[in-house]
Amino acid sequence: MTRPPPRLIVNGRPFDLPGLPDDERLLDTLRWRLGMKGTKEGCRTGGCGACTVLVDGESTLSCLTLAKEVDGRSVTTIEAGPEDAVVARIRSAFAAAGALQCGYCTPGFVMSLAGMIRERGGVASRAELLEALGGNLCRCTGYASIVRAVDRLVPGGP
Amino acid sequence: MAPFELVVPSSVEEAMAALRTAGPGEASVLAGGTDLLNDLDDHRTNPRRVISLRRLPWRTLDWTGNQLTVGSTLPLRALEQDPEVAQRFPGLAQAVQAVGSVALRHRATLGGNVVRSAPASDLIPVLLSLDAELDLVGPRGDRRVLVDRFLRSSRQVDLAPGELVRSIRFPEARPSAYFWQRVRPANDISQVAVALAFSPADHAWRVAVGGVPPRPLLLPEPARVLGTGAPGPEAVRRAARLAGEQAPFVTDRRASEEYRRRAVSALLVRAVDSVLQAPEFPG
Repeated sequence: MTRPPPRLIVNGRPFDLPGLPDDERLLDTLRWRLGMKGTKEGCRTGGCGACTVLVDGESTLSCLTLAKEVDGRSVTTIEAGPEDAVVARIRSAFAAAGALQCGYCTPGFVMSLAGMIRERGGVASRAELLEALGGNLCRCTGYASIVRAVDRLVPGGP
Repeated sequence: MAPFELVVPSSVEEAMAALRTAGPGEASVLAGGTDLLNDLDDHRTNPRRVISLRRLPWRTLDWTGNQLTVGSTLPLRALEQDPEVAQRFPGLAQAVQAVGSVALRHRATLGGNVVRSAPASDLIPVLLSLDAELDLVGPRGDRRVLVDRFLRSSRQVDLAPGELVRSIRFPEARPSAYFWQRVRPANDISQVAVALAFSPADHAWRVAVGGVPPRPLLLPEPARVLGTGAPGPEAVRRAARLAGEQAPFVTDRRASEEYRRRAVSALLVRAVDSVLQAPEFPG
């Protein structure tokens, strides 16, 4: 009996991954095997949050996750299409608030927020959203504009 | 990262067999992986086989009256979000929230944290203050061991070849608190930390400190000074002073010994205040 190849469902699309090495991290699978360069490599030690994606809706550090450990599961990245209303809404909030400069950390920030909004069933409080960003570093903005983007995601925000 | 074979057993027996057939030092056990993967990348660990626990039925949280049993592979995020845990083991919930970030806690586990036994673990001080025990499975049968006995030194634990931590058992709900000091509030390593708990059964306090080499430890004397119930201000001051004097702090790249001695006293005072204000505190 041959085992089916590992499979990831990325942004709703299934990818069979024959020959996926046991030691490959989800970050590298996304970037180098699937060519989705939106997910960024920062520190590669879980310290910066740049590589954050969703696995079955939960924010996950793709640098500290073996791709085979999430075999069969759904992965959401910054490349998610407009049909992902949560990710689309956060991207718009970042654009409207001018919440990025070099942009390298932005995908991680967006996915951390998306995970919290999904966890809270579609609406998260300001405190919950800021807690979700505790593991995301930005070296450009000083965070003020990112907090303004967060305010746009809170009910009653601008 | 050195190439290794990833094995994903679907039963405890299979997992033990996968461990047993690997030679000494040839296998690493993967729970959440948030610590292990860094070691693999840096070649601090070079296993030929990595055994993932993700298919084992250990993502559990069970109450038996006043006792809590947490499966070793339950993600920390699930533990911190349980309202009963937050109410009956506030120190545990606070310590879990001190670990990494939300995204990290979606994968990191309590079992992994104890077995990996990082000297600056934010969870181990609280496990000590709650007299937590580990239930182990292994080729020679099951056994139960106090976390305080399980921990030997930095990154060294009393785990026999082939043994796995199945669950962490908390024998008694306790008014408790965890206070830490660090450079950044989130996703950072604590320079110094205090876990405090009051045992209603023993009418006694437990004080544990983190940020001491080689591993977090219980300080019996400050706990004794706090007495058998709500301590007065003088007892709190004496306990705080003793904690600062007796914890074997050293200077390292995160903080100086002097800073830690002063900080631990302040943290203990805050922890006592926090526990006494909880509605669950007896008397």
